[in-house]
Amino acid sequence: MTDVSPTESLKPLRTWSHLAGQRKRPSEYEIVTINTLFRANEREALELASDVPMNRWYKRHRAESRLQHDDWNAFRDPDAVTYRAYCTERDRDEVYVDGLLEQYAAQRHDAGLPADWVDRLAALYTPCRYLFHTTQMTSAYAVVMAPASPVVNCAVFQMGDAFRWLSRVAYRTAELGKTYPQSGFGKQERARWEGAAEWQGFREMMERLLATYDWGESLIALNCVALPAVDVALQQLKQDAVARNDGLTRFLIEAQLGNSARRTRWMQAFLGFISQRPENGAFVREVLGRWGPYGDRAVQAYGDAFGAGRGAEAVVAQEEARPRMP
Amino acid sequence: MALLNRSEWYDIARDTNWTPSYVGVEDIFPDEMSDAFGLSLDQWNAYDEPFKISYREYVQVQSRKDADAYSVKAALARSNFYDNAHPGWQSILKMHFGALVLLEYNAVIAEAKMARFAKAPGMRNMATFGSMDELRHAQIQLYFAHENVSKSRQFDWAIKCFHTQNWAAVAGRAMIDDLCLGRDAATMSIMLTFALEQGFTNLQFLGLAADAAEVGDYSFSNLISSVQTDEARHAQIGTAALKVLIANGKKEQAQRAVDIAFWRNWRMFMTLTGPAIDYLTPLEKRHQSFKEFVHEFIVAQFERSLEDLGLDKPWYWDLFLRTVDYFHHSGHLELWFVRQTLFWNPSAGVSPPERAWLEEKYPGWGEKWGRMWDVVGQNAIEGRDDKVFPKTFPVLCNVCGTSSGGIPYNGYHQGHWTDHGDGRRYYFCSAPCKWIFDVDPKRYLGHLSITDRLLAGQILPPTVEGALQYMGIHPGERGADADDYAWAHQCAAVSPSQTKVPHGNLATGL
Repeated sequence: MTDVSPTESLKPLRTWSHLAGQRKRPSEYEIVTINTLFRANEREALELASDVPMNRWYKRHRAESRLQHDDWNAFRDPDAVTYRAYCTERDRDEVYVDGLLEQYAAQRHDAGLPADWVDRLAALYTPCRYLFHTTQMTSAYAVVMAPASPVVNCAVFQMGDAFRWLSRVAYRTAELGKTYPQSGFGKQERARWEGAAEWQGFREMMERLLATYDWGESLIALNCVALPAVDVALQQLKQDAVARNDGLTRFLIEAQLGNSARRTRWMQAFLGFISQRPENGAFVREVLGRWGPYGDRAVQAYGDAFGAGRGAEAVVAQEEARPRMP
Repeated sequence: MALLNRSEWYDIARDTNWTPSYVGVEDIFPDEMSDAFGLSLDQWNAYDEPFKISYREYVQVQSRKDADAYSVKAALARSNFYDNAHPGWQSILKMHFGALVLLEYNAVIAEAKMARFAKAPGMRNMATFGSMDELRHAQIQLYFAHENVSKSRQFDWAIKCFHTQNWAAVAGRAMIDDLCLGRDAATMSIMLTFALEQGFTNLQFLGLAADAAEVGDYSFSNLISSVQTDEARHAQIGTAALKVLIANGKKEQAQRAVDIAFWRNWRMFMTLTGPAIDYLTPLEKRHQSFKEFVHEFIVAQFERSLEDLGLDKPWYWDLFLRTVDYFHHSGHLELWFVRQTLFWNPSAGVSPPERAWLEEKYPGWGEKWGRMWDVVGQNAIEGRDDKVFPKTFPVLCNVCGTSSGGIPYNGYHQGHWTDHGDGRRYYFCSAPCKWIFDVDPKRYLGHLSITDRLLAGQILPPTVEGALQYMGIHPGERGADADDYAWAHQCAAVSPSQTKVPHGNLATGL
């Protein structure tokens, strides 16, 4: 914009000046999404002294990250999700979930569950709130660090989805606790998350990921390793829920995996977008090489709790679940 | 059986702190990002957000609110309200969108920093909603502003402003970065949600929505009311944080955070909202002066909030109350002078009936600012462009980035500065801005205001036109007197003697 001659008087346009050069008429998604993140100038993120910790943080973990692109604002969410679209769609999704919960409660579903399956839910399902919360926090970090608004916004909705399922698991924890007050629901999840063998792979991966601050490594490890691993674990739980006639857990997980599909779509588009710069390919491979083993150990430990060989199955399944560079 | 009540499971959803063992707590929650107060995870577990809402309720309520706001807009789209609106109101819209919307987007990031780094699980969850709320505020307001881009190029500044080096953008970024992203999550919760949102914007939006309804801009009024309802919820994040901090012996540090943030907000608020209420709003639609608004809402409410928490009034409270009488009158005159740098057309707002209103609301206004406007008006009538446009730019405060706002004719001088060890003299608009700098100078060291950049040779050519180019504001975007000096002619007609004053030169600032 600085190349405008001082004598030329700018005329009103039909859209924002930064979109006016596009061939296509901008969509509502583009009008409210593109180019909304600003920074102080070329050098600093914040309009404060260079040495303020957060300016150093952005420099180290974003500006000097190996994940780079010349024009991050050129990224487009394949689903073109806006805030109003997100809330409208999730409201519909939640109506469905409310319906499930109401219907199964009316049938006294929980009271009919076999005792060993109730124990399994206490061991492998309700502690998920810690796991989901770590993915909510890591998605929040992507919001803080992503270099442009079209990427930031995808992370905002992903953070919302993580909180959605944390909330539903909390709900189920309380509900199961009413029917089975002696089974530790609402009381033992933290101890299991911190100590039970089946959770230690996930906990180690997520703690290490929370302490990883390079924005590119954090986002790619989260969306290409950690969350696909969570999906695989949920698939396994669902598989057993079907076998044990636990329709509620089955349908809740299916609804949750619907949100995962949305995440996979934007991540796949993101990988395609960053692959325009060859150096990013090497970076992504390196990140996957570093984090893949954590994902493997997480699903292995979790899967083994279902029986012999299930952990190994999960390791194979998650390889396939990971989004890939084109 | 029906669904469980929220209260039956809510506490479980915010029982998510655990003890990490593969890495240290400080690796996940470094103090510089999480908590400058140094409280433990267990201490933060006591955090109790007063406004509770579940995800399920959130998406339901928000989707309905959006449906309402967008459908009112669609219904009123053909009313041509904007085309027939008072020029002062048109300017308020442009100012509002340009100065605010991308700051809302910045708050998406800031809230997410709390969602990630806050040590209190309840705060992390509330900030998750807060971040989503702010995305709503950015997107819905961009959508509304975009409707007007074909009517005036100045509306492009709704999205352009903060990508430029315009002085207003520099000042806005300096404020928001100092209060939000430039702070750890705990401090930010006080500065952003308690001081800025609960102290100012929540109330400002109520007033703005009422004013919009008064002038007949129902679409905008409805939009702002809708935004305010979100703000009222997530603005409570900081109050709960303050309770935890005070209970754990951190009152003094928390008080300092409040004091810093309130003053920084006040400077920005008086710079923009003061002139909007007292000079740009059409006279017949004004139901309250800026001073009355500040006393009724900001002062009364903020004093009550502080008292409820057991905090003190900021140390500069008496000075603050005095400045309500004058900051924005001088600020408005200065803004009008540098109107080419603005992306709205400021009304001078000093026609004879407007002067009478100002005198009634601010006894003595005419003696101070009226006399100055007399000189400006006479120069305007005589076509003396050299005297009604600036020859250079005023000194800008090295903390808040705005100009002095002193009282004219009382021997005002630039009396606040600090000679720092880096060999530079830093200037401040006021004692509190100097205090903010002195509390932690390294936050501000080396930063140059637009005027500093001009003097440092970073803006070439070092002329007003060079600076306008540097600020990214071009002909077709630059502000002009909204009434084409009609007010000056009216004043001269009513009271010719009023304009018989020596030729003054206000072009170099107050």
